[in-house]
Amino acid sequence: MADYDRRRRGGGGGGGGGGHFNNRKRRYRDDDYEDRRPQRRRYEEPLAVTVRKQVLSIAESPVRRVEDDVATIAKALAENYFDHDLTSGFVDLAVQLTVEQPLKIPFVAAIVLLANVQKPELTVDVLSKVGESLQRRLDLGEWREVKLYLRFLACLQGIFEGDGIFTILEELFSRAADLQMKSSEDSLGLELVKVILMTIPYAMSSSASGFETQASALLEKTDIIASTAHPLEALVDPFPSAEVGAPTSSESALALLQKHMQEEAKSSWELSCLPRPWKGNRSSEEEDALNAAQKHPFPQVAVPQVVQNGARAIFPEVYFSVYGEQEIETVPGPTDTAALLIRDALSDTINVLDFNRMIAAKFLTDVDCYFAPDTFVKRATPFDKLREVTGDKATWKPEDVIVDAAFGQLMQLPSPEHKLVYYHSVLTETCKLAPAAVAPSLGRAIRFLYRNVDRLDLELSQRFLDWFAHHLSNFGFTWKWTEWVDDVNLPEVHPKKAFIIDSLDKEIRLSFSKRIKGTLPVPYQALISEAKDKDAPDFKYNDESTPFAAEGKEIAQLIRRKAGNEEFTPIFEKIEQDATASGLSDPAHASTDAYVTSICWVGSKSLSHVLACIERCQERLLALSSTSPTCRKQIITSVMDYWKDQTGVGVVILDKLLNYQILTPASILEWVLIDNVARGTLLAKTWSYELVSHTTSKVAGRVRSIVGAIRQPGLPGEQQGELQQALARELETMKNLFSIIQDAAVSIRDGNQDEMMESSDALRAQEEDLLKAWGGKWARVFQRKYAVEDSWVREELAKPIPEPETKVDNDAKMEEVTKAEDAEGENGAMVDDVDLIA
Amino acid sequence: MQDTYTVERLDRPSTYYTAKKKRKYGRDQPDDRDGAGNNAEEDDPLKDATSLYVGNLSFYTTEEQIHELFSKCGEIKRLVMGLDRFQKTPCGFCFVEYYTHQDALDCMKYIGGTKLDERVIRTDLDVGFQEGRQYGRGKSGGQVRDEYRDEFDPGRGGYGRAIDAERRKEEEEYGAGK
Repeated sequence: MADYDRRRRGGGGGGGGGGHFNNRKRRYRDDDYEDRRPQRRRYEEPLAVTVRKQVLSIAESPVRRVEDDVATIAKALAENYFDHDLTSGFVDLAVQLTVEQPLKIPFVAAIVLLANVQKPELTVDVLSKVGESLQRRLDLGEWREVKLYLRFLACLQGIFEGDGIFTILEELFSRAADLQMKSSEDSLGLELVKVILMTIPYAMSSSASGFETQASALLEKTDIIASTAHPLEALVDPFPSAEVGAPTSSESALALLQKHMQEEAKSSWELSCLPRPWKGNRSSEEEDALNAAQKHPFPQVAVPQVVQNGARAIFPEVYFSVYGEQEIETVPGPTDTAALLIRDALSDTINVLDFNRMIAAKFLTDVDCYFAPDTFVKRATPFDKLREVTGDKATWKPEDVIVDAAFGQLMQLPSPEHKLVYYHSVLTETCKLAPAAVAPSLGRAIRFLYRNVDRLDLELSQRFLDWFAHHLSNFGFTWKWTEWVDDVNLPEVHPKKAFIIDSLDKEIRLSFSKRIKGTLPVPYQALISEAKDKDAPDFKYNDESTPFAAEGKEIAQLIRRKAGNEEFTPIFEKIEQDATASGLSDPAHASTDAYVTSICWVGSKSLSHVLACIERCQERLLALSSTSPTCRKQIITSVMDYWKDQTGVGVVILDKLLNYQILTPASILEWVLIDNVARGTLLAKTWSYELVSHTTSKVAGRVRSIVGAIRQPGLPGEQQGELQQALARELETMKNLFSIIQDAAVSIRDGNQDEMMESSDALRAQEEDLLKAWGGKWARVFQRKYAVEDSWVREELAKPIPEPETKVDNDAKMEEVTKAEDAEGENGAMVDDVDLIA
Repeated sequence: MQDTYTVERLDRPSTYYTAKKKRKYGRDQPDDRDGAGNNAEEDDPLKDATSLYVGNLSFYTTEEQIHELFSKCGEIKRLVMGLDRFQKTPCGFCFVEYYTHQDALDCMKYIGGTKLDERVIRTDLDVGFQEGRQYGRGKSGGQVRDEYRDEFDPGRGGYGRAIDAERRKEEEEYGAGK
């Protein structure tokens, strides 16, 4: 059952169901059917249903006073405690809302707080259920959910006996300290400290008072862990310094959070952005009643002696903002204590609700409802109007804050929780919900990223590029290109020019060249070659002046009519003889080129055509590729040469050839980074980055699937051994492949390609520096990718192997499924191949 | 998987398959109410589905465009264009097959309902492509929805074919412009 069901008969009781856009067909019956039907007896909605709806929509309306709604619901619950449906329905919903709609936690907690005055029994029910859920998440190491349940309990600090939430926070800290003691590279300890620091403010803004000492004591302890730089921090810096080994330019989010909380402690925990829905305008009598209400023991929850981490690897986080360089502050700056509190709630909302991006976007656009009033300026206030804000009133634009949060996820290194396209879709939906308000914010975000594209980590500039083109494709490809028009004259390897060229290419991939040309000012037109207009590139052998033109055409004919293998042989022989005669050093390349180019041409009608073609020619291609590494590279050259104007297609074909094992990962990497790198010029092209990163992620996917196989419960020892051997082999391969990239990129970064440089004195010094910078960027990205894979394998193998399933326990089963899915990850493609290796 | 959420999930299949089942077995068959639902769940044909039906494409959208967008959710194993039964030209739908079920679900969540080639496309989990399913089932060879559409859709051949044929016949009989 889904409460946000927008279908006609949705809501309350309806069955689960399809996406709302799946079901918009209106049948002719729909219109007049109901008129004819006799009216049903008037139906009064049960209280449980009414209250459920009220709780679900708590705080959503900007026009209602949420304090009143909280009080009304609390009253209904307290007075009807005997109604089992109502009570148990509420308890379940409170538990679920906490982890599914985290922005509402303070409001749901306030309901419980108020109801506690009249009906402490309800509180007992809620606490026991929340305690159970918290315990389960603690045991599984699902730290986000732990954090959210603790937040709920922190909001209820006022009803606990003794130290309440602080006891468990202390316990969490001692685990963190143990972990950090064992290893300085530990990141789980950081996560625990984050949980603690994100819980304290909610306890301090709750109805409870007099916990300053406990809070300060904890802050003193967390300081050392939170403020010490983690060794991996440099790896996830979005704006890395060009110099090797330089300190990071961005501060870690955890260190900032620690500072913010220390600030708050000094200003007696003002925490002005957090909502206090339990306050309302109550009389002093009611206030007393709240204080005098029954206290409860904190739920019985035990932090496991050995804490572990769930499915997602933990890396240090950096506070990333796209609005940092503005004359007026439109989002809380990194020194503001609200920055991370708001960001954290929004990031969780985005990540938790990946199964409904429309609702995620709706919560985002309603951000001002979930924080204290006056935290933000009114929605859709134009940037220029912010100048008129007087006094110390906030100038934070809600639209900027949410766009910033979405980019914070999209730009998270090494990778965000979900596929990147999810964050694209959230931004698209927010834009659809409030186009006039969000579009200008996005515009400023784009300008910031573009302005800084040369400083940005390469992986992030690629994400920006990919998002940008995809986003424009959802909004009619409109962008104010005129503002970048001066950059069209920059050298091709300048990061800004490279961004422009590749954005246009990606736009074209999603659309077609004429359409995109139509959206561009004149100076940009020249960037799109005429050749891109053609549906299929020309076949070079149709030009009689091309060597082996006749043979090339003949081969194409043979492929087209699906001729047998033996028919090709004489033509190949002829080409090779002629090539030898005319003094070509490697005659086999000429025949390979003719063959592969013909396959590309015959298959140029569509991807399916070329794949069918490759499949038919698979045997011969495999035989060719196995003759020598240079022959494999000739195959790559022929494909990319044929598709030079639509490199995206070429990349897909090479990817498939890799699947067929016609190409090897090493051949692709060497082709890009050594043979054709052209002093680094190729490193400025998105398609070469795509080619290399697809290849490495396939290799990594293979490793991951073997690890997954090894960790299968109940594997016989013999098979275990074989898999271990396979893993060792694959790990070695992976290491070697990454070092090919590393060596090549570093040599470009350090300008070690002297002999080549001298031969091209036309190249200006500036370009030379740009090329070195590309080398540095590539080296960084792939060094990180390797580090991530390497540590994933180590951590995964260190985890205890799950027991073979005996009894089907639902939760355990669910966990199993998510693990399996995670292991397959993006590289499911390789799963099929495990058998081959083992 | 947990089966209730406070928010509707976008990765659930449409009613196409359940409705088809109902049609097949008759509407009066006892359904979920007396526990038959548990069985149905076990042999749910879509529970491991790796394929998607993609609809509302323009006739002019190419495989390469589809590949570019859909590969954002994972590597594509196979892509089958829907074709007009007689002309063998694209008729506005396709099947996309991924390697994993998760990729297909993610595609429902992140790509279904967004734009490709400037049209909002529809995705639905599918049991997988079988030979023959690539052809439109409309009378004139395309999709049924393109037979009777009375709005002009330049991306899908203008007016519905049946309607268009009628208009042309009228024009022939009574002269153009009537």
